[in-house]
Amino acid sequence: MLMEKKLIEDILDAGLSSNADYAEVFVEDKTQESINLNGGSVEKATTNKVSGVGIRLAKGTQSVYGHTNSKKPDDLKNLALDLSKSFPGEAGVERQPLGELEVGKRHQAKISPKDVDKADKIALMKKAYEAAKSFDEVIQQVRVQTVDWVQDVLIANSDGRYVAETRTRVRMGIMAIASKDGVMQTGSETPGTGKGYEYFYDEVDVEELAKNAAKTAKTMLLAEECPSGEMPVIINNEFGGVIFHEACGHSLEATSVSKNASVFSGKLNTKVANDIVTAIDDGTIENAWGSANFDDEGNPQRKRVLIKDGKLVSYMIDKINGRRMDMEATGSSRRQSYKFAPTSRMSNTYIANGDSTFEEIIANTKYGLFAKKMGGGSVNPGNGDFNFAVSEGYMVRDGKIAEPVRGASLVGNGANILKKIDMIANNLDSARGMCGSVSGSIPADVGQPTIRVQSITVGGKKGADEE
Amino acid sequence: MNIEKLFAKAIEKGLADVQVFLNDTSHLSIEIFDGELNTYEISDVSSMTIKGLYKDKIGTYRTEVLDDTMIEEIVDKVLDNAKSIDSEDEAEIYPGDDHYEKLDDLFNRALPATDPKKKIDMVKKLDKLIHDENEKVSVAEAHYSETTRSVMLQNTKGLKLHNKVNSAMLFGEAIVKGDDDQRTSFDVLISNDLDDFDVETFASDIVEKGIEQLGSKPIPSGDYEIVYEPDAFATLIAAFKDVFSAEAVQKGYSLLKGKLGESIGSEHVTLVDDPFMKKSSRSRSFDDEGVATKFKKLIDNGNLNTYLHNLLTAKKDGVKSTGNGFGGSVAPVNLKLMPGDDDKDELVASVKNGLLVTSVQGAHAGANPVSGDFSLQATGFLLEDGKKVQPVALVTVAGNFVDMLKDVTRVANDLKTGYFGITNPSVKIKSMRVSGN
Repeated sequence: MLMEKKLIEDILDAGLSSNADYAEVFVEDKTQESINLNGGSVEKATTNKVSGVGIRLAKGTQSVYGHTNSKKPDDLKNLALDLSKSFPGEAGVERQPLGELEVGKRHQAKISPKDVDKADKIALMKKAYEAAKSFDEVIQQVRVQTVDWVQDVLIANSDGRYVAETRTRVRMGIMAIASKDGVMQTGSETPGTGKGYEYFYDEVDVEELAKNAAKTAKTMLLAEECPSGEMPVIINNEFGGVIFHEACGHSLEATSVSKNASVFSGKLNTKVANDIVTAIDDGTIENAWGSANFDDEGNPQRKRVLIKDGKLVSYMIDKINGRRMDMEATGSSRRQSYKFAPTSRMSNTYIANGDSTFEEIIANTKYGLFAKKMGGGSVNPGNGDFNFAVSEGYMVRDGKIAEPVRGASLVGNGANILKKIDMIANNLDSARGMCGSVSGSIPADVGQPTIRVQSITVGGKKGADEE
Repeated sequence: MNIEKLFAKAIEKGLADVQVFLNDTSHLSIEIFDGELNTYEISDVSSMTIKGLYKDKIGTYRTEVLDDTMIEEIVDKVLDNAKSIDSEDEAEIYPGDDHYEKLDDLFNRALPATDPKKKIDMVKKLDKLIHDENEKVSVAEAHYSETTRSVMLQNTKGLKLHNKVNSAMLFGEAIVKGDDDQRTSFDVLISNDLDDFDVETFASDIVEKGIEQLGSKPIPSGDYEIVYEPDAFATLIAAFKDVFSAEAVQKGYSLLKGKLGESIGSEHVTLVDDPFMKKSSRSRSFDDEGVATKFKKLIDNGNLNTYLHNLLTAKKDGVKSTGNGFGGSVAPVNLKLMPGDDDKDELVASVKNGLLVTSVQGAHAGANPVSGDFSLQATGFLLEDGKKVQPVALVTVAGNFVDMLKDVTRVANDLKTGYFGITNPSVKIKSMRVSGN
């Protein structure tokens, strides 16, 4: 129990004591452990305890938020009273009573990070280190980091929602650095899960992943600079889904849509993508990286089909922006911690499988870039212009994967690119990401099958290819 | 938390030395949308970072739960964390320096004392000015945020230090709509004195920058002379600032390894770390390890003068810490690229065929601090014979950070401290690869 029910009710009542029409309490207690391994030795081991309370009040589309790490009842009630002064006037709404605490039962960890000895975590990391380091003599350095956390949350609001759940995340980052003649290139793998350590014990092979990271670093070390210019680009599955996340997903969040600050504002039920594109944000996938029982306003997480056969059918909406849009919230509210007011965010976002195969897409491409592994990227939600780094790329020539190329980046516009996706494979898979936005940095899963985009501007240090 | 009690328990359980770093942060933020108060946030958070030394290794525990009931758990975890470390590094808890710079103007009492209504009115004014500046403005965003941070460091070696700073940031953004495109433009003002905020000029500059960018399109790929405006160049410095960290150098992650004393930039490049900069909320007289901070030239007329050190990296290299031990690692305080004599207009006028870059995006992914390579999305203007001839977007500028520093041909005198807390002028580069259509 993170907080007594009586105190929560008192805080909500204090919040509604003047003219606010909504009050919400978010209580959090989180313990995070991180270990850094460098050159095979443990260099840092840190524990971080995050604990506090966030109180939000709203009236119409206006909201006020306060947070503190004090758990003293008087401090919390006074904070709610202070905030309520922003809405002067008589108390306006009746608070719905809080019933029984609803405790989320899905997405549980079998082996909680709390029950794993540090020595066992370190042994796992050293295995990954050895596998990457011994892959090839060009691998000069290997960094391995694990971060895990157990976050207990309790959310209650004046609509009568009263819920709690435990959210567990475990992630390892493996980075290999290949170096030769003063040139350095990197390769990385970042497996992670909404499960516990059973994921690393039973489901993934960290040595195999470490070798992959080393292989990417070596391949990129020996690669040519990427040619630049506009060309067809084949974006691989898994983390390739970052393109949709950045270029379209952010522009479908109510945070920007409700303010007419998104290119997709007012586009509901219109065609925004090629007919073959269906895209989904699903916060209910069992133990996935971006899943939860409840969103951070206390409503059940949901599956949202965003784009169906090219047509925009849903946004991701939180309560307050929903009021501005005159639309229901979609269970999409998320936040990093009690230090952030929640807002509409993605969870596990992916493009659905298509009819082609990976082999068909390659064979049907005379000339272009195959972005096998994507790095991160960013987007301007105001106009959808985006920028992605390609961390492992290959040229495609005459329907075959040809030489590796490095230093490529993809630049384009989200709304345009959706219309230019002309082939989608049937190999849907996903990868882990940390997504930063107004309500902080949160785990977000990205995914897609391999897709082909007719043309994207490819930036690189080399000039246009001689064709 | 009773710190003496914590120290006593730690020593009793076998830790050789202990240090606590207490951080109290209070924060206010205001956001206006369409003339109305959209969000108002207040917060107060205290945290404590405890470091304990056991057999020359340091274990760390950071907590926001500060009551005495935590003492037992903290000490056990610190010990457990320290014991798990098996690197060769010899860590230490610092006894202190003879002299710490006195920094007086970092905390402005008047700022938190100012009525929040006055601050709300200022942001409302900014919102209205952005809307009214031009009919093409479709959306305005106006935010204000204010932070007061007080830190206290105390350790069992007898060191006790305090620092208190505050700062306010005003953020304005405009989305402007043209016939067939939409552009965004934003800027920030940072100071701990509200009188420094010239809201009128700030609003009109933001809108003007957005309007100028309407009708942007890519330009043909090729090599262009480049002039970076301060914000764009600051983004690049921010993306590559880790290359100066001795930790990155020692571990083989920095492309500046083995370059100490060598020329890594043109004679126009002098980059300093100034921890005493006035009105910067980042300014500090001591770092997180208790070492006195120092003014230093990282690059002096193109020559790499020093790396940035904390206690651990300094010991390894047999030098003194530069007072850059922050956040458990190494970081600069206030980076500043020293200005030249020319106006920015003179830099632009000297370009025959080039690109004026007003902003670059995607640095967290498109810039590789290990190799120095970057390929970033850029917006700006095509320059021909010293004149702006066309707004440009959806192109990338690609190169290598060190190669670029060597190709700096001029620096302007228009110093600006921007979003990243980095201070720099406009910079001209001989040539870079631009990818467009």
